[in-house]
Amino acid sequence: MADYSLISTPPLAGTDLRFGTCRITAPADLALVSLALPLGGEDAAQKAIAKAFGTALPDIGQSAAASDGSTTLLRLGIDQGFVMFTHATPDAERVVAAKLGGAAYTTDQTDVWCALDVTGPDCRRALERICPIDLHPDAFTIGSLARTTMEHLGVIVIRTDTDSFRLLSASSSAQSFLHAVETSFANVM
Amino acid sequence: MIINHPLLGPRDAAEFVYLGDASLIDRPDWQDPDAAEKFYEYGYLRDNPAGQHQELWYHEQGDRSWLVVTRDTLSHEITKVELARDVAKARGRDK
Amino acid sequence: MSQINRIDGGQIDRSKLLSFTFNGREMHGHPGDTLASALLANGQILVGRSFKYHRPRGILTAGSEEPNALVQLRSGARQEPNTRATVTELFDGLTATSQNHRGPLEFDLMAVTDFASPFLSAGFYYKTFMWPRAFWEKLYEPAIRSSAGLGRLSMQDDPDHYDKGFLHCDLLVIGAGPSGLAAALTAARSGARVILADEDFTPGGRLNSETLSVDNMAGADWARMAVAELASLPNVRLMTRTTVYGAYDHGTYGALERCTDHLADSGGKPRQVLWRIYSKRAVLAAGATERPIAFGNNDRPGVMMASAVRTYVNRFGVAPGKQVAVFTNNDDGWRTAADLAARGVSVVAIIDSRDKPAVCDVPGARHIRGAAVKDTVGRKALKSVTLTDGQVIPTDCLAVSGGWNPNVHLTCHQRGRPNWRDDLQAFVPGDSLPVGMQVAGAANGAMTLGAALAEGHAQAARQLDALGLTAKGSAPQAEDEPRDCAGFWHVKESAKRAWVDLQNDVTVKDIKQANREGFRSVELLKRYTTMGMATDQGKTSNIAGLAILAEDAGKPIPEVGTTIFRPPYTPIPIGALAGRARGKDFRPYRLTPSHKWASENGATFVEVGNWLRAQWYARPGEQGWRDSVDREALQTRQSVGICDVTTLGKIDIQGRDAAEFLNRVYSNAFLKLPVGKVRYGLMLREDGIAYDDGTTARMSENHYVMTTTTANAVLVFRRLEFARQCLWPGLDVHLISTTDGWAQFAVAGPNARNLLRKVVDEAHDLSNEGFPFMACGEVTVCGGMPARLFRISFSGELAYEVAVPARYGNSMMDVLMEAGREFDAVPYGTEALGVMRIEKGHAAGNELNGQTTALNLGLGGMVSQKKDCIGQTLSKRPEMNRDDAIRLVGFRPVDRSKKLIAGSHFITKGDEAIMDNDQGWMSSVAYSPSLGHSIGLGFIKRGHERMGEIVRAMSPVHDTEMEVEIVSAHFIDPEGDRLRG
Repeated sequence: MADYSLISTPPLAGTDLRFGTCRITAPADLALVSLALPLGGEDAAQKAIAKAFGTALPDIGQSAAASDGSTTLLRLGIDQGFVMFTHATPDAERVVAAKLGGAAYTTDQTDVWCALDVTGPDCRRALERICPIDLHPDAFTIGSLARTTMEHLGVIVIRTDTDSFRLLSASSSAQSFLHAVETSFANVM
Repeated sequence: MIINHPLLGPRDAAEFVYLGDASLIDRPDWQDPDAAEKFYEYGYLRDNPAGQHQELWYHEQGDRSWLVVTRDTLSHEITKVELARDVAKARGRDK
Repeated sequence: MSQINRIDGGQIDRSKLLSFTFNGREMHGHPGDTLASALLANGQILVGRSFKYHRPRGILTAGSEEPNALVQLRSGARQEPNTRATVTELFDGLTATSQNHRGPLEFDLMAVTDFASPFLSAGFYYKTFMWPRAFWEKLYEPAIRSSAGLGRLSMQDDPDHYDKGFLHCDLLVIGAGPSGLAAALTAARSGARVILADEDFTPGGRLNSETLSVDNMAGADWARMAVAELASLPNVRLMTRTTVYGAYDHGTYGALERCTDHLADSGGKPRQVLWRIYSKRAVLAAGATERPIAFGNNDRPGVMMASAVRTYVNRFGVAPGKQVAVFTNNDDGWRTAADLAARGVSVVAIIDSRDKPAVCDVPGARHIRGAAVKDTVGRKALKSVTLTDGQVIPTDCLAVSGGWNPNVHLTCHQRGRPNWRDDLQAFVPGDSLPVGMQVAGAANGAMTLGAALAEGHAQAARQLDALGLTAKGSAPQAEDEPRDCAGFWHVKESAKRAWVDLQNDVTVKDIKQANREGFRSVELLKRYTTMGMATDQGKTSNIAGLAILAEDAGKPIPEVGTTIFRPPYTPIPIGALAGRARGKDFRPYRLTPSHKWASENGATFVEVGNWLRAQWYARPGEQGWRDSVDREALQTRQSVGICDVTTLGKIDIQGRDAAEFLNRVYSNAFLKLPVGKVRYGLMLREDGIAYDDGTTARMSENHYVMTTTTANAVLVFRRLEFARQCLWPGLDVHLISTTDGWAQFAVAGPNARNLLRKVVDEAHDLSNEGFPFMACGEVTVCGGMPARLFRISFSGELAYEVAVPARYGNSMMDVLMEAGREFDAVPYGTEALGVMRIEKGHAAGNELNGQTTALNLGLGGMVSQKKDCIGQTLSKRPEMNRDDAIRLVGFRPVDRSKKLIAGSHFITKGDEAIMDNDQGWMSSVAYSPSLGHSIGLGFIKRGHERMGEIVRAMSPVHDTEMEVEIVSAHFIDPEGDRLRG
């Protein structure tokens, strides 16, 4: 049976906007899987994570590159982190869970979020219009992340490079999120 | 206001949701012989001091942790910020 | 008109000529001019009419404290009333018109009010228009409204954009005058992250207006050098045209940056940006404001502040008069005379209220000691002044100096009160400053240049020390000019009206009258006389006003005190406060995964919180929403319907103690829910009132998926985190929202299984035995796509909810409709959803309204007595368990053709329709297409025991009454055969 097939239409797919030397793009096939560290099992979980990814979950507010060179671990809270990697098929959670052997609780977050990558020398000046977090390079170093609010939307902001940030926000409000980011660049460029 | 989050550092109070008196941690035992009276006091009787106040704030637009913030309600001076789970454990709460 | 008053010098760019119009007349100025300086240069002395008496008024000051020179700027939708000409930067093509007059500015018809002034004194509103009462709304108020007030709004939408932003710094320096520049230089050279904000378009403050030297160079040149150095440093953010308007908690400041106000065209960029500045430390260097002296007819055009006259001459190259007289009570007024004389402007006299020798030599000027101006002549332009000794001095410009008031405003925004300093005859910042703030320069009472520079450096050094940084460099050097000042507020010998607050037309007499009538507190004085209100907030008038009150009351000034200073320091446009939050950008919106499909298939959307949900799907030929909704509900019950239910909150719950946790947050038992099953759960508040409901599915041993109502998704999550962290921190349980992650569709109706059989992969058994009512599980659809399937029913039909990763949601809607084609499947919206849940007697938001208990809802059996749960103990309170408690039941109209009205209250037949006899209320109503009449859910006392009783349903709001019959809330399939089939 099953003559039907499903087509993936992520809300911001294909976004590619330029403002002067700055650029806003939506990363393709970005997968997110949350990790929760079991109470009392934190050390075992960290060991399993380190074994699976070559690095344990970093400190809260930091991200860490996994040994595969493409996966990033984000630490969001005292017992919560995200595994962020490129993965097209809808089985990201299984992939991560298989690596951890039950040492941490996993939940697929891929479709909960949408992402924008913003790059360019004027990024920080644009983000100043919506981001209450201090993004000065001394205060927010490469790899730093913060979960905050921008234009009433919950956003995770990650500094991926000197002049590059990745922003994650709820997928259902993707259009408002894109509008907020886009307007910020349009207003300063 | 700025709340100096014990794990994240200073963050704008706009990221938080306010609940109220930190005595809400001290939920009574339902099997206590005076449970009805104690739950009544827990639910309805709270101090509203002009001065130092221990209160619960939730970092909803952040790491989702509940905090106990010691704040002077007259000056807004914040003298202490703790993770509510640590406060709860210190007050004997567990499972 | 040519620039007849333009003289040499000043910081204007004479190589460029700018054209502008005032009341339609073309005039010219230069870059660097303000509208006020350009008006003066063009000989325009009369610029407006006063608020109450429509007196001719000129320009009083050269700064943001201006009470008089308020104009309407620009035209059309961009017209902006009450703009201060003294801070409006001139641009080519600027258009300005004067305000508050009928007919031409020179011949204001409303000037007649000036002759009625004896009847318009303080509090005249409260006294004059008392009687007859009926005249107030129809006559007095409209008349007052049309004659009072200043500028006019355009009444059109503001076409400009506004933005907001967030800035962070180690040290915020407020004001770029001498002390602010000194502070910023010291901090910047020491490596601190510095923000320097100044309201002017040229930093330098008074240095641009004075002829004083700093570090052996002209003050204005030193300021330019300092600014250039600051601008070159990466750790400094220099913000001109930026007013720090408020000091808030913990080092947070509000600032308004005027980005394009000085341009003819904004180029589509935000006009203004409202900044929130997070500072670790701040230095307030807001300077001081010169205050007038009150004397008879001191409001004539041509009577100006002495410091402003100096500013126009030195900074703008404009002589405000040809024969200037100076009236002063202090040494500083003498510098105006000296500077003017040095620039070749004739100074005819210096009238010093003090009987002391000349402060400096002013060639050509008479020095009149121990005298004062008691009256002036010249209605539309000053002609002469009359002194207390009777002599008349012809003059076209009187420069008045009553001493300087430190700008303490921001030091008081956190309830600080200023202190009185006798030697300055002024208030200075008090001991209780906003957290992290220090004050420097004239704002702190350091009234001379040398002292201001030294204090700017010292306060920055102090703040750097607190930040753990070491101050570098030394203070710039300058002389300390003479600054002796007498406490001389008004000229007692004046018989004519002497104005204190020019913006609100408050006179010395008004203040004395207020005191006489008992309005003796300064706060009452303000409200009774309106002194210190409106756009200038009394910057030039407040201190003089309270000094006069003190004198009249025979009290020392500090005992009278000041009114409370509140933000904003200067006016902030509503547009700036709104920022981007206008129209459809007022708040974010959320779209369901099938939104695109719905909008392509005739959906009308409704806002549900931030969500846009399909309300119904209209088909061609349908006459109104009811046609669509009836069809959707009927077709669902007859065959199969599909609804996007993604908006329901989904919370992923995992952990060894997840079952125990659920058992405590739900009132009903959850410990024994088997894997692969769903259970309906009711949550209570701790006070026993019903809070939220939903279903929770056990996906595996330690893994549950909870659903909440759409409205409470965020609130329930917050509550669960509270329970987890604050109540039971020892439980191993973890929460994460997956609401947006899964596109979830209800597939309901007798053909639901047949439809899903075509979509769900064959390996999964969908038979009633294999996947019974309340079953759940992970399945695959469409050839391997991971999905979740729940056999739950809100409609009362055989129904499932199927969820796929959200990015496949729009496609899934397509697939479901395609697979359903043979069953004539129908998409249904929230209205049909509502109809079917009422038909089935399911409670929703109208029933879970924060007033009802499990017992009221007919769910009393769902509060387990064998375990603890949130709300369990208090739900047992006797008053909540009375025998006559309200119960949720169904209602139908006795006359089936009638339409029930939600909100109706029930009265037992035969009882009088009064509140004491109230039996309950109708909470939800709908037209049931299946039954062919109106049905309702509602709460009525002992409802479960009153089946079949006829009661009166009354809606006084609609002025209706009808007889309704109490019936079971389960209008459709009360035995539940369909959903189990």
